Amino acid sequence: MSQKELTATFTRQAEIMGAQVVQVARVGAIAPKLVEALRPLGSKIALVDSPLVQTAGVERALAEAGFRIEKDGAAFARQADSGIVQFDYGIAETGTLAMDATDLKTRLAAMLPLTCVALLPEERLRVNLTQVIEAYLEQGGWPGYFTLVTGPSRTADIERSLTIGVHGPERLLIVLVGEEGDGNGR
Amino acid sequence: MAAKEFRRRIRQALDNASLRGALGRFADSYVVSREEVYAGRDFEALRKRIAAIKSDAAGHYEELAAQFTQAVEARGGRVFRAPDAATAREYIYQVAKEHGVTDIVKSKSFASEEIHLNEYLQERGLNPHETDLAEWILQLMPGERPSHMVMPAIHLPKEEVARVFSRYLGEPVEPDIKNMVRIARRELRKKFLTAGMGISGANIAVAETGTIVICTNEGNARLTTTVPPVHVAIVGYEKLVPRLKDIVPILEALPRSGTAQPITSYVTMITGPVPAWQGDGEGIKELHVVLLDNGRTRMAADPVFKEALQCIRCASCTNVCPVFQLVSGQVYGYIYSGGIGSILTAFFNSLEDAADPQSLCIGCRRCAEVCPAQINIPDLVLKLRERVVEKQGLSSGYRIALHGVVAKPKLMHTLLRAAARLQGPVTHGRPLIRHLPLSFSDLTAGRSLPAIARVPLRDRVKCLEQPVAQPRLKAAFYSGCVIDFAYPEIGESVFKVLNQHGVQVVFPQNQACCGAPATYAGDRDTAIRLARQNIAALEEARADVVVTACPTCAVALKQDFPALLAGDREWEGRARALAAKVKDFTELVNELETGGPQEQSQRERPGQAPGMVPGIAEAASQQEQPGSPGPGGQPVKVTYHDSCHFKRHLGLDQVARQVLQRQPGIELVEMQESDRCCGFGGSYSIKYPEISRPILERKLKNIKESGAAVVAVDCPGCVLQIRGGLDQAGSPVQVKHTAEILAAGEDKGATSGCKEPASP
Ligand code: SF4
Ligand code: SF4
Repeated sequence: MSQKELTATFTRQAEIMGAQVVQVARVGAIAPKLVEALRPLGSKIALVDSPLVQTAGVERALAEAGFRIEKDGAAFARQADSGIVQFDYGIAETGTLAMDATDLKTRLAAMLPLTCVALLPEERLRVNLTQVIEAYLEQGGWPGYFTLVTGPSRTADIERSLTIGVHGPERLLIVLVGEEGDGNGR
Repeated sequence: MAAKEFRRRIRQALDNASLRGALGRFADSYVVSREEVYAGRDFEALRKRIAAIKSDAAGHYEELAAQFTQAVEARGGRVFRAPDAATAREYIYQVAKEHGVTDIVKSKSFASEEIHLNEYLQERGLNPHETDLAEWILQLMPGERPSHMVMPAIHLPKEEVARVFSRYLGEPVEPDIKNMVRIARRELRKKFLTAGMGISGANIAVAETGTIVICTNEGNARLTTTVPPVHVAIVGYEKLVPRLKDIVPILEALPRSGTAQPITSYVTMITGPVPAWQGDGEGIKELHVVLLDNGRTRMAADPVFKEALQCIRCASCTNVCPVFQLVSGQVYGYIYSGGIGSILTAFFNSLEDAADPQSLCIGCRRCAEVCPAQINIPDLVLKLRERVVEKQGLSSGYRIALHGVVAKPKLMHTLLRAAARLQGPVTHGRPLIRHLPLSFSDLTAGRSLPAIARVPLRDRVKCLEQPVAQPRLKAAFYSGCVIDFAYPEIGESVFKVLNQHGVQVVFPQNQACCGAPATYAGDRDTAIRLARQNIAALEEARADVVVTACPTCAVALKQDFPALLAGDREWEGRARALAAKVKDFTELVNELETGGPQEQSQRERPGQAPGMVPGIAEAASQQEQPGSPGPGGQPVKVTYHDSCHFKRHLGLDQVARQVLQRQPGIELVEMQESDRCCGFGGSYSIKYPEISRPILERKLKNIKESGAAVVAVDCPGCVLQIRGGLDQAGSPVQVKHTAEILAAGEDKGATSGCKEPASP
């Protein structure tokens, strides 16, 4: 699959699974996009540092736009409206995000708030799960807490009626970052 | 015989409209969405891979457990190998006690339910909170049973859930699903943030890395394993696979087969302890993995039942099961339901506990078609039934019927003849019994029974003239009891059509019941006795081919006899030799008309195909296309019902359609769900008429909607069931065996046999 096909397939599948996908061409475009997208969703942000967050200057931009940023503490992410994390890979076949979530704050920020913002360099898209597993194994050592995320948290437990946002986020916003996007990621 | 309490549960489930409505709606949409989510994928290849991985693992649990333990310990986690439920419970309780835990959050785990963990912890003053929404709802409803393995609260209408929530909160709650999900999120979030321990199950455990894999849609497993400072994972040995890459096919099948999703929202893979918040700062979580045996290694050592350990708990077998759809998991009881559930229950609980659940299986084999772990569930259920009978014996009614009558063909035939004479006043001269004396009323509710023929086929054949000048083939007809005593006219049609195709047919008089009633009742001894008698009787005929027109008999002759007599020096070879000669009537007609099995006709040299009866090719080349033009030129609309055994054991569903389509004057129209069981299942319809009847009703509805005037089937059992149902419903639609339809188009062939008994 070409990069273009990967992006198209990933986007289509992720949207079928209930995620929102926005594409930004450059790292520089991330922060303005986040300000715009997150404004209606509440001002408290749980932010996890990552190469993309750093190079895109996400923290400063959000703070300047009036958001309250949390990065630490015993109650981290518990009261936040949105959590921002960077994922390692995307899987085109199922529209899935993959990451090594061994870091505690990454897990909390991705799970506790109602909105999860997932940053992902476009070049980190892969065709299927096998390729992603292989990529980790090549880097040596299997992660302590590996996670695959596809769409928002959902349940159909009452009358089989699909309802989103039961325990995890009800909104999954994937920001696919164009060619300059790797930001020296893992 | 099913216990009283079990019967009561069945009645209750059948009477529960919202349960049946919910399960039925789900099952209908499931079939379609499952197809869609597998579209473009090679399901057969996928399940072969899964079966290979899991079956191989089941042969190496000890090594895999050791490897898994080592890998988890190398990362700093602990593994406890629990031989049984009691030690597992106690270990988990001790871990909780050590940490002064009072509140525990749990994500869904069959294993924890299997060991009755919640009750145990509650009795000791701890509060385990289920966090899967459905499980939580059920936890708030003491005494309520889960109705489905994957969707345990599928039977509860939202109004009921609202009542449960308002009781819990002490305030009114509207039956608004979105709002109720919000309430669950809010209430359970409090539990997640304060619990001292999280307990999870696992869908897969990887030995090489010590990884446990958990799939959820709600995300509760991620919170359970992230927030509290201690994590206990309960993992059955059957979850072990050797390598990380082995998870890929399982993750491909599990959500697709389970809920028709390409993937669950969350797949979490935990390898060793990870960071967690510990009181006043970030520390490392304590991880305990409880590897649960509780009957699993005993199962792995069992050559027959080892196969059931391949199960990945997707529940698709129950989603397609016509019986499960009616009665739900609430009737099966225990944790694991459906056919597979009865097998697991036999090992994880006890054989006694499995006795009633296993008896619910009608043997339609739909589950085996969809199982992503390629488990032959119905055959395993039969093996289980044998063991139940071995241990508990047959119920007295069955014992008398099987040992006293069926096992003694002479006596049975005498009794049937006597019954044919005695039934006069009951049938009022009609071919169907509509009403039976009161004590048998359940037998005829919703279905008329056929009258026993005044002259059985075994006597009629003596008067059959067979105008076959130079027979190409000599066939022995094995009729089976239903054709012999209830529908001899089907047998006559078989004679007529085969004669027309240049085949001479004999009826070996010493043939007896094929033993299926005994086999399906778990009575192996009677089945073996009948197998021997039939083999001897059919050998005597010295025929080229043994023809059946009943798929249940065909399966008995082809598969059951060799299996029953395996290891018997005198009989095994004879059973195999007979099995190789058996051919279904319709299959044989197809070969006679086309010159051999389909693939054969494609090849260059029209030699003899393996398994092909000698003389067929020649016979076919001399034969004209049979049949006569339909009356009045207007084709008759015929719809085809796939008998379970005919399609799923013999695989002849398309062959039958081809044969019918070649018949002039017929327009074949498909009904909905043509391969759905008619609810007969032999003695099943007598044992569980209350389940058989609604299955039949659905079949009748599909038949009616097809607009056909005739239903064609290749099984006399289905003829009995469907004809009886249509008759009772006053429907003009006719049910005919394929042989009868073909015979109607023949002009020569055997004339009718003797119609009057020698001495009335
Ligand atoms: S037996 Fe097969 S279909 Fe049934 S739950 Fe197990 S894997 Fe799924
Ligand atoms: S064979 Fe039919 S009745 Fe038996 S468990 Fe399977 S689907 Fe259900």
